[in-house]
Amino acid sequence: MNDGIRLAGGLIDRKRPIALRFDGKPFSGFAGDTLASALLASGVRLFGRSFKYHRPRGLLTAGSEEPNALVELRTGARREANTRATTIELFEGLEATSQNRWPTLAFDLMAVNSLLSPFLVAGFYYKTFMWPRAWWERLYEPAIRRAAGLGRASMEEDPDTYEVAHAFCDVLVIGAGPAGLAAALAAARSGARVILCDEDFVPGGRLNAERHEIDGSPGSAWAAEVGAELRSFPDVRVMRRTTVFGVYDAGMSGARTFGALERVSDHLAVPPPGQPRQRMWKIVARRAVLAAGAIERPIVFGGNDRPGVMMASAVRTYVNRFAVTPGRRIALFTTCDDGWRTALDLASDSVPVEAIIDARVTVDPAILEAAKRQGTRTFLGSQVIDTHGSPVERITVRDRDGQLTRISIDTLAVSGGWNPTVALTTHVGGRPKWSDTLAAFVPGDLPGGMTVAGAARGAFGLAEALREGLAAGQEAAEATGHAKSANPIWRADDEARGVTAFWHVAGSTGKAFVDFQHDVTDADVALAAREGYRSAEHLKRYTTLGMATDQGKTSSVAGHAIMAAITGRSIPEVGTTTFRPPYSPVAVGAVAGIHRGRHFRPTRLTASHAWAREQGAVFVEAAQWLRAQWYPRPGEKDWLESAVREVKSVRSAVGVCDVSTLGKIDIQGADAAIFLDRVYTNMFSTLPVGRVRYGLMLREDGFVMDDGTTARLSDDHYVMSTTTTGAGKVMQHLEHARQVLWPELDVQLVSVTEQWSQYSIAGPRSRELLERLLGDAIDVGNAAFPYLACAEFTWHGLPCRLFRISFSGELAYEIAVPARHGDAAMRAIVAAGQEFGITPYGTEALGIMRVEKGHVAGNELNGTTTADDLGLGKMMSQKKDFIGRVLARRPGLADPARAVLVGIKPVDRSVRLNAGAHFLAPGAQSRLENDQGYVTSVAFSPMLGHWIGLGLLSGGRERIGERIRAHDPLRGKDTEIEVVSPCFFDPEGMRLKS
Amino acid sequence: MSESTLVARSGFHDLLRPAGEGRGVIVTERAELGLATVIARKGGAVALAARLKERLGVDPPAGPRRDTSNALSLMGTGPGTWLATHEQGTTPLLSALRKNVGDLAAVSDQSDGYAVLRLTGPEGREALAKLVFIDLHPGAFGVGHVACTVAGHTGITLWRLEDGPDGAIFELAVYRSFAASFWHALSASFAGQSTCDKNARVRSSFG
Repeated sequence: MNDGIRLAGGLIDRKRPIALRFDGKPFSGFAGDTLASALLASGVRLFGRSFKYHRPRGLLTAGSEEPNALVELRTGARREANTRATTIELFEGLEATSQNRWPTLAFDLMAVNSLLSPFLVAGFYYKTFMWPRAWWERLYEPAIRRAAGLGRASMEEDPDTYEVAHAFCDVLVIGAGPAGLAAALAAARSGARVILCDEDFVPGGRLNAERHEIDGSPGSAWAAEVGAELRSFPDVRVMRRTTVFGVYDAGMSGARTFGALERVSDHLAVPPPGQPRQRMWKIVARRAVLAAGAIERPIVFGGNDRPGVMMASAVRTYVNRFAVTPGRRIALFTTCDDGWRTALDLASDSVPVEAIIDARVTVDPAILEAAKRQGTRTFLGSQVIDTHGSPVERITVRDRDGQLTRISIDTLAVSGGWNPTVALTTHVGGRPKWSDTLAAFVPGDLPGGMTVAGAARGAFGLAEALREGLAAGQEAAEATGHAKSANPIWRADDEARGVTAFWHVAGSTGKAFVDFQHDVTDADVALAAREGYRSAEHLKRYTTLGMATDQGKTSSVAGHAIMAAITGRSIPEVGTTTFRPPYSPVAVGAVAGIHRGRHFRPTRLTASHAWAREQGAVFVEAAQWLRAQWYPRPGEKDWLESAVREVKSVRSAVGVCDVSTLGKIDIQGADAAIFLDRVYTNMFSTLPVGRVRYGLMLREDGFVMDDGTTARLSDDHYVMSTTTTGAGKVMQHLEHARQVLWPELDVQLVSVTEQWSQYSIAGPRSRELLERLLGDAIDVGNAAFPYLACAEFTWHGLPCRLFRISFSGELAYEIAVPARHGDAAMRAIVAAGQEFGITPYGTEALGIMRVEKGHVAGNELNGTTTADDLGLGKMMSQKKDFIGRVLARRPGLADPARAVLVGIKPVDRSVRLNAGAHFLAPGAQSRLENDQGYVTSVAFSPMLGHWIGLGLLSGGRERIGERIRAHDPLRGKDTEIEVVSPCFFDPEGMRLKS
Repeated sequence: MSESTLVARSGFHDLLRPAGEGRGVIVTERAELGLATVIARKGGAVALAARLKERLGVDPPAGPRRDTSNALSLMGTGPGTWLATHEQGTTPLLSALRKNVGDLAAVSDQSDGYAVLRLTGPEGREALAKLVFIDLHPGAFGVGHVACTVAGHTGITLWRLEDGPDGAIFELAVYRSFAASFWHALSASFAGQSTCDKNARVRSSFG
């Protein structure tokens, strides 16, 4: 093995050494290194094992397109799988582990897969693991997952935080290479608001990896200067370590949304206090300049995946930027002029280049001459057909006469030309188009507002990249209303860029890889062609070409080119697949941002929440609200015991329940009464001021939408209540009616749910409590304030409301106070109720009491029931029109066989009932066609001493007294039940009027 | 019974805590602000505007803008719909509106329905940009601008006041029940560990 060695120069800080560990062994590098460059400088050539065949793999690239050198970064809960060593910025104490090998990287037992490779070809899963079917989940899949695969997730909660942030700009520049920097500068000098994003930690792109000069100084120095000038503008944001990963829709103004990931703390061992690990940006840009550069493409030849076979541009990056030579005996296999530059760069660092193999028969005489001057052997019209050793030790070259030459080397640099990075041009539907001149796909239809500059559109020369960048930045600034600025003219060369399309070395010995990350070979492409999967989309799905986490950045085009050659078509005829967001992997945590765990969605708290918590309440989510479900007392063994106690207290004394979560809609206007008549099935224009009425609301299709009470506060002022979960939906429904159906009505709607804290005070002693609580603020006597009365009054100087309504069937009131006094009001109610035996009750007790009374709730208002189904057919007024009236008369909805609301009791009173059980006739088989309806709600009735339930039973009203079954195959139960009236308790309603 | 027995608790009353010395963002609660929705009667928007101008000196904006006269402000939140605020609280707000335009508009008290925060400080705009997906650049969201938008999965009304000594001043109204969740979103977005109180400062996480 030939150790890589540090050279002079580079963009590393030799005064800042950094210690790291890889596979447990200590290494060191310098600030400015990546994990890849630091390990390479220490002689590491083997970075991982391949996905399917477990072949040893080394570095292929020096950038984010890396398919091979994937490692697990960090340890414990911070372990992150599939991290590209080429993008990991060195930090003190870095720990990384190679992946997909067992037991060690150098000795991997799974490499036996390589011997099985004749069986592991494309389509292998589809063909092999079809039978027996039951084996798939238990045997095949787990085994395959163990053998093939990438890194491991930590399985622990991520200790770091993530953020989402938003930014707006006139011009978004994607990529800080020469074209991007020029574009950003031109736009910034015009006064535009500019955001410049670059995935690297040093702006400059290829300028940092090449020996270009601009105006006589090194390209990297020029990039640093431009970066500094950009930062001096107040309206310019330069974002390093930030990948624009997705292009999304544009708004009406043409401004388009982009997704970007900023790796805020990935270059640190642990994020600093208050800082997230990553921040996801949503950027809205009026114009965008894509200057994403290009990616060098490999050539498909035998043994092209061995450690030591590396992209020629990556060799230059390691040599020039990181001052590391990947080897001491380097050969070059190229098909373009650009590749030759590698040899020149190496020669000036005194690294001998053994040989240059160019598939072209003729090359630019000038570069040929330069190479010969250095004593490099050149093979024109020749190809590398095989490699040997791991890391690579020898290559076999076949020259134009078919002669084979073996050359000992330690590194093979490869260049098949460059592919413009067109991914972001395709995210909203654009397709790249083929350029014969460049032998590459270039951007086709662009997303509106986007221009492409430099290598990303095939302008590979430095001078033309700078020119295009300036022009694109200038044009974008002008398009967003900014004046033309005086632009600099930079002096730079356009280097030789000759290229010939050459993809695949036919007649290679050894495996020739197309997609390194997914282990797809030229033979797999040929197999796909033989089996008829010939379009780019079929090829992709059959072979998984381009479907790894790198999205085929180094492989897709070669795969399509090989398919074209095999099937005798042109590359455009084979087509190309499009790319999807994200351009490079994005952690799910970054998408979630701060909304994780219990903060996934907001919750809503009532004003009495703190008080309820003090009482030890157990809470349940209803819509987004947290409602007290029951209030356990010491010694109570479960919720039912607590709820039963609460019910008994309410029915014998008095209880209080927070009902603030019910929707409250303020309805005003001269036509408010007409409006309510039209949205409710029953009449509200006849409701006197100071009274409340229960109302039922249908959807347009005739089914029940929601129910609740509405109070008339004055001639033109009503307040409607809705169910907790229906509040938003009802508000939307009413607004639609007001704005769209009847814009001629004078009616104004606004939600006042949050303005009022509302408490239900229920039970035979509730009036006494209110008299004690409210004193002479309001007369609550039965004569002055009868059942279904309402009033506004002043209490403690506050505007309050009182309603005499009941869900429990008891004498009951609801008192509403301004929400900021809700906490104090609840405490005052409980204090005043002490002498009457007040008990706070939760939604479980509420649920029991409403089942005892046969009141419908969410389980019955489930979108499949009509008013008649629920026994509320009489509320369908015959005197007026209302939403849902016509469609409620449809034959299907008026069918007498429909399932309607009934009550049920178990024949054996000791048996528990369950909601969801289906009604079957005695002796009927458990089959769908015998189904007669189902149980919607059940409760243990403290008043009756046994379980009761509500259900929807076919023809139920005529079947009172019948004995049928509640059949529950899910719980394995079958219970004989008696059909009864849905109201179990106080059917005359004497209690609520007392 | 005396008035003092029903203690008021503002939406954020137990949430804002001192954050010590810092710079960046200053968050305070506007518990004293009176709020009401004002919706023009059918076909009455023109008459309402004229009356408001004549009697109270405010021009109800026809779009998402805010107009202020004395302590009263009106912010456009929808066609013919405004959110009104009063610096001196609910009582003067409701009496001014009901007395002067009660026949031309539906007025609904929302002083307890919303909890209002004021944000300022050198990094206030940057921090707020994490929460809301609208352009807060001074050229796009100027003094007197109003937006009904979403922050931390919660609907808010956001407006910008005249600049103060600590820079741009924003106020935002969130439905009261969301205060705790919203405070989490705000404090987590602004600094991870920071919370704040009247005149206490939050160090934002833009270093």
